[in-house]
This record gives sequence, structure tokens and C-alpha cells, in this order.
Amino acid sequence: MANLHTEHLSLGYYEHLIVRDLNLTLPVGKVIALVGANGSGKSTILKALARVLRPREGAAYLDGKAIHALSTKKVAQRLAILPQNPDAPEGLRVRELVSYGRFPHQRGFNGLGPEDRDIIDWALSMTGMTVFADRPVGNLSGGQRQRAWIAMALAQGTDVLLLDEPTTFLDMAHQLEVLELLSRLNRDEGRTIIMVVHDLNHASRFAHHMVAIAEGTIAAEGSPAEVMTPEILRQVFAIDADIITDPRTGVPLCIPYKLRPHDNRSVGL
Amino acid sequence: MASGLDRHSPKRGPQSRDAGVPSADHDDRTRDDKAYGKPQDRSALGRFWALVRALQRGSDPAVVMVTLALLIVVAVLVSLNLGFIKIPPVDVLKTFFGQGTSQQELVLFQFRLPRIVLALLVGGSLALSGAILQSVSQNGLADPGILGINAGAGLAVVGLLIVGTGSSAFLLPAVAFLGAAATAALIYALAYKDGSVTPSRLLLVGIAINAGIAATILVLSMRMDRQLYSYAVAWLSGTIAGTSWDYVFALLPWTLLLVPLTFAKARTLDVLSLGDMLATGLGAAVERQRLILLGVAVALAGSAVAVGGGIGFVGLVGPHLARRLVGPNHRVMLPTTALAGALLLVVADSLARNLFAPVEMPVGVVVAAIGAPYFLYLLAKTRG
Repeated sequence: MANLHTEHLSLGYYEHLIVRDLNLTLPVGKVIALVGANGSGKSTILKALARVLRPREGAAYLDGKAIHALSTKKVAQRLAILPQNPDAPEGLRVRELVSYGRFPHQRGFNGLGPEDRDIIDWALSMTGMTVFADRPVGNLSGGQRQRAWIAMALAQGTDVLLLDEPTTFLDMAHQLEVLELLSRLNRDEGRTIIMVVHDLNHASRFAHHMVAIAEGTIAAEGSPAEVMTPEILRQVFAIDADIITDPRTGVPLCIPYKLRPHDNRSVGL
Repeated sequence: MASGLDRHSPKRGPQSRDAGVPSADHDDRTRDDKAYGKPQDRSALGRFWALVRALQRGSDPAVVMVTLALLIVVAVLVSLNLGFIKIPPVDVLKTFFGQGTSQQELVLFQFRLPRIVLALLVGGSLALSGAILQSVSQNGLADPGILGINAGAGLAVVGLLIVGTGSSAFLLPAVAFLGAAATAALIYALAYKDGSVTPSRLLLVGIAINAGIAATILVLSMRMDRQLYSYAVAWLSGTIAGTSWDYVFALLPWTLLLVPLTFAKARTLDVLSLGDMLATGLGAAVERQRLILLGVAVALAGSAVAVGGGIGFVGLVGPHLARRLVGPNHRVMLPTTALAGALLLVVADSLARNLFAPVEMPVGVVVAAIGAPYFLYLLAKTRG
């Protein structure tokens, strides 16, 4: 099991410092949602956890070792990242895309072995993409395409899956479809799912652990019940909201009713 | 783009549902407008192209490669027959089995064959170089020219012609290669910022440096006399004229080293073409691999340009052609690219030799005459 945490992590682009002195520990084997306003730094944190972005100071640690110091191929065998809106080369078929997930496990000149092929088939069937295996990725609907990318990340065979807004640009049915798939991967396969989500009610329903980010630091973290409070929502999103309990699942739901324009809210970026 | 995603758009009316509840049938909705033409294109022509494209994409890569190889063999045989001195096909075969006249032997083995072999090597190398650059930059408009290969080699050659020490037959190719490599290195260095080179910076810097070098060549060539100038123009537009086996043997070691090296990098190119973030996530050392691959692309194109002059378009068109035939997976796309480039250049060179015989056209002009319309066609087809 891969253990991820950060110590005194500072991140930025060019002269802008976006995340300051972040100490974050991510529980193992859970679904974790990073939430926060636009520009709060949640995607930036995700990139640093996936060693895609170099820290200014401090470090992200994988099993106690600074992730940037580890061999990138070794890290790729432990955690997979799916960026927002990934783009496949035109004409690439689903099975080919999923086979790229085996990259960190292949050596030298060898092609795909029988074991690789089994894992690719398994990833396709887990995501319900077997019937679409020979279709070009560009021909799929939004939800199918996102599942194809998740299948690629699955074929990587990692304990941890990092996803940046996996439900953006999807309609409601496809959003649920993707989130239920991730939930199932966590439940049945024991994968740690760390995702940036915009929809608080999705976060509350599908995540065990929520981390609310405001201005590059942790504003609150804990179970959905602990994080989804009117006070925290006011602080993190500058909104006034009512919290009710979902009659079906018992998780807190948020109904925002008013913007607080005079709050010192981080906007843009 | 959005229309395919929008489940409530009028065209999808019968399938759209009110509630956002997942159900079994929504897997059937696919965005088929990207590769098979727009769905509303129900004209006979639209259907015809959809069928052609489906056949193309459905074809076995092995069949495509064997077909290309056979076409190359045919092109080589036809090219051997064509020329100022007419040699009938029967005599060509006879000569190959040692039954030809000494004149036929001279023409075939000392003039035509080395030139054909050179065209194959140059075309394959340029196309492969373009394939690497397009994948590394994730930009289908990239080609070796954008890295300053042609411009750098051209500037070096023009400089050499002005200095006027073109005594050795190998000085010119060597100087051309050095000019190409130096320019590519300059572009890479200028595109380097904050510990990395982003593809878009690389392309923009490349365009700027190319413009500067083109202007410099123009200024320098104004000082040349007529004879030198026409030689320089022929070289700059690409020409495989005046070849011998010496040039083949000078280029061959590069090709034999670089082509297998490129094929071995197929999987790295696969993941790099997904973008920096995914490539890193999949465990590729993006910055280092990109530098290595750019180096291979520069060496491939630089060595080809050194003996073939400033041939354009092969590096751009070859990879596009291959992708249309076998898709973007590099394991099959790279060999197909090399074959397509070799075929294109050997055909173009036969035309260059014979179209206005006895006057020879620069092969680069012929390639551009074939390549430019195809490029415009691609641009018209590509959205955005």
C-alpha cells in the first residue's frame, strides 16, 4: 500500500506562489476528495503529489521517500495520474490507449507480454470498455472516453489513482457513472482514489475523506460530515449554504443560497 | 465539438432523456463525427469517403507495409528504366544478371542506382525525423524544417560557397550537417526556460530563427555571381543530382544506426504523444527523452539534408500519410512512415529527372508540387 504525504510543501508557477507550507497526509485505501474554489491550489497539489510539478520548497513523500528523488518509472508503478481533459492522438484505438498504461512495466525492446495482455483485458472489462476496445478514442461519447482513460490508468496497476476533475464536461448520468466506477475500484480493488472534485455533493457522497483547500492551505479536512458545515463553506467558497441530510444515503448535502461578495476570496488565476 | 456531447441536441432527440439516470442504452451514443466524417454528411460522396476511411483504418498494418514495400520495388524498377539514355526493362534485367553492355552497366550501376538508393535513404530519414518531431511536439504541423535543419544547412552551404573552398566532395555535406546541427542546438537552447523546453516554445523559437536565417541567406546570396547563385538555389530547394556510391556509403551508417534507434523508441513516443503530464505519470523521463529524441530527429534529417539538399515536405507529409494508413501507434506508424517517405522521394526524384529532360528539376520542387496540395487538403480537413 502506497502512503502519500507532504511536508512543508510550497508550490508555484513562475513568480506566483500558490501553495504555502502544506502538511497533508492522505489516508490509505480511501476515496479522498480535494475541494476548493477555482485557483485555490487543489489541482496544483494533485500535480505535486504525482511528481508532475516540482516543489519550490518541501516535498511530497511516497512511503517516506521524497517522490522527486525516486525513479520516475518506479513511481509510475505505484501511482497513476489522470489530468483534466486528456487528449488522445487522432485515430488511437481504445485497446492501444489502455496498452500504454503498461509502459512503466515494460523493459527494453520487449513488446506486450501475455501478462500485460491479461491486465489490459481486465482493465477494459472493469471499466465496461471491452466492447469498445477496437473503436478510436475520439469516436466515443464523453463518458466512454473518460472510462477509456481510467482503464489506461488501471492498466498501470497502481495502488493510487490521482484524478483531476474526472467529471468535468460530462452530463449528470456520465458523472455518476464515472464516480460509481471509481467507488467500485476503491471498494473491490482497494485502490486509493485521490480526486479533485467541484461538485461538493458528489464529494460528500463518494469520498470517505474531504480536504478543503483555500488559498493554498488546508482550510478543513475530515469526513464529509466534518467538512460540510456552513462555517467552512463560508470560509472556503464564500457562500452561505444550508446543509441537509441526504434522505437516501445519510451524507450531508449542501444547498447554496447566497454569495458573500465582500469576503476576501481568492478569485481567478 | 460540443454537439456530440450534448445529449439534448435536436439531432439526438429520440435518445435524449429527461432525468440524469444512467441506463444501459447510453453506451450506444458515440461521437462519430471525428474520424468518419460529420454524421449529417449523408451525401453519396460523404458515404464514399466514410467507406474509404473505414477500409483504410480497418486494414492490417502488415498489409499496408508490404503494399508500400512492393510499390517501392515497382517505383525503383520504373525509375531504372527512365532516363536520358533509354534502357528497356528487358535490358535492365539482363544488366542485373551481368548480361548488359558496358554502357548500360555504367548508366545503371554508377548513375541511376546510387541515386535511387540515396533517394530512398533520404526520403525515409526525413519522414522518420518528421514523425519524431510531430509526436514530441504533439503538433501535426511540425517538420524537420521547423528545427532549423534546412535553414541551418542552407546557411552553412551558402557561406561555404561564398568563401569558395568547395574542393572536396565531402566538405559540402559535412558543413551542411554541422550547420543543421548547430541551428537545431541554438533553437533548443533559446527555447529552454525554467528547466524545461515546452513544445510550443520550441516551435515558436524555431519559426523565429528560421525567418532570421532565411533573411540572412537572401542577403548573402545577393553577393553571389549568377553561376554560384543558381547552384545555391538548386541546393537550397533540394537535389540529389551528381550522386555516386560514395554519398550512399557516407549516409548509410547514419541510417543504419538511427532508424533502428527510432524504432526502439516507439513506446516512449507513444506516451510522449499523450502530453507531458500523462507521459510523466506513466513513468517517462520526459525532458531527457525529449532531448534524446530531438537529437535523433536532428541527426536523421541533418544527414539526409547534407546529401540531398533542402528537401521540404517529406518530413511533414510522410508521417501524416502513415497515420492515415495505420493509425498513431508508433510500433506500426514509424516503419510505415519510413516506407512512405522513401516511396515519395524515389517517385519525386524520377519525375525530377525525367519530367523536363534533359533539364533536371530540383527534387525538392517536385516534392513541394506534390506535397503542397496535399498539405492544403489536410489543413482544410483539420478543424480549428
